[in-house]
Amino acid sequence: MHELGMARSIAAIVGEHARGRKVRGVRVAIGPRACIERQALAFCWDIVTEGTVLAGATLGFVEAEGETFTVKDYEIREDA
Amino acid sequence: MCGVCGCSDPTNQVTMTDMASGRTSLLRSGPAPEVPAGLSAAEAHAFAHAHGLPHDHDHGHDHGHDHHHDHDQAHPHPAAAPGLHGGTVALETAILAKNDAIAARNRGWFEGRGVLALNFVSSPGAGKTALLEATIRALAGQAEIAVIEGDQMTSNDAERIRAAGAAAIQINTGAGCHLEADMVAEAARALNPAPGTLLLIENVGNLVCPAMFDLGEAMKIAVISTPEGEDKPLKYPHMFRAVKIVIINKMDLAPHVGFDEAACRANIRAVNPGAEIICLSARTGQNLQAWLDRLLQLRAAI
Repeated sequence: MHELGMARSIAAIVGEHARGRKVRGVRVAIGPRACIERQALAFCWDIVTEGTVLAGATLGFVEAEGETFTVKDYEIREDA
Repeated sequence: MCGVCGCSDPTNQVTMTDMASGRTSLLRSGPAPEVPAGLSAAEAHAFAHAHGLPHDHDHGHDHGHDHHHDHDQAHPHPAAAPGLHGGTVALETAILAKNDAIAARNRGWFEGRGVLALNFVSSPGAGKTALLEATIRALAGQAEIAVIEGDQMTSNDAERIRAAGAAAIQINTGAGCHLEADMVAEAARALNPAPGTLLLIENVGNLVCPAMFDLGEAMKIAVISTPEGEDKPLKYPHMFRAVKIVIINKMDLAPHVGFDEAACRANIRAVNPGAEIICLSARTGQNLQAWLDRLLQLRAAI
């Protein structure tokens, strides 16, 4: 549920932080009780990043505990 | 999932209608244009104003108090970022942080005012509005009640609440499938509840998404109704885990729809062993008193 809005939030958090630097990938930590459907989130991620500075950035998942739902880290592209 | 229903879509418009004045205001105005690059600070500021974008106002401080600028928020430090030649940047930023921060502020506002805020969740048609109507009528003269109504469209529910005798604000979430903390903050400010007020928030009828969004309420209360079947708590465990009280409504219909109360109670306990359960009928008033007593007890505890 909410994956479209969540994907937008993730893109906003990373976009704001990266300040125009090219991003290769973003990792999100998701707990079993976060109510987040990973496949749906990945689907929405491609849609919301299309045509933005985050276009092409991969979305990866990291196992976490409980209700955790955080942007863990992101990777800057070396050619940027 | 909300990729289908489109909540949080920037083209989505959220409005708030004050039933007392009939005035409707925009809470979220749909697509937010990006500030074009290459504008001077003054131009960018004017652009933000013209397009209703969030922005800061710098202003002089001549009213003589100390400013402590705390520095514990995560924010970009370009000098420290491993930027230019690649690398991984740790963020550890909660994705719902914005909503949670506003919810925490709401909670403080409610506590400071001595207002008891309750967030009612259910599937559409379980009888949230009917329960609130019955509560307002039964407590007339005993308790001040104000209601925030969340629905995708129409102010039908807020009109019903107002007819029952309470102040009401209708929030229309458009495509959105749940209330968020900023909407409740705006509505609560407009309602301006007096100390001791019961602020009853009727969320959008949806047993999925509202579980994720803290509004700053003292507790969530789920309403289920007998025709829905006994297994709702098993089908939507996230929601039933998030509530303190479960109200089983439409008990007058239980014999007609073959509702098994014991099985329903067992299912609630299976996902949330600590949940209180109150069976009643908002329509006939059957056992409504148990709910009213509990409500007044909660208010006395704030």
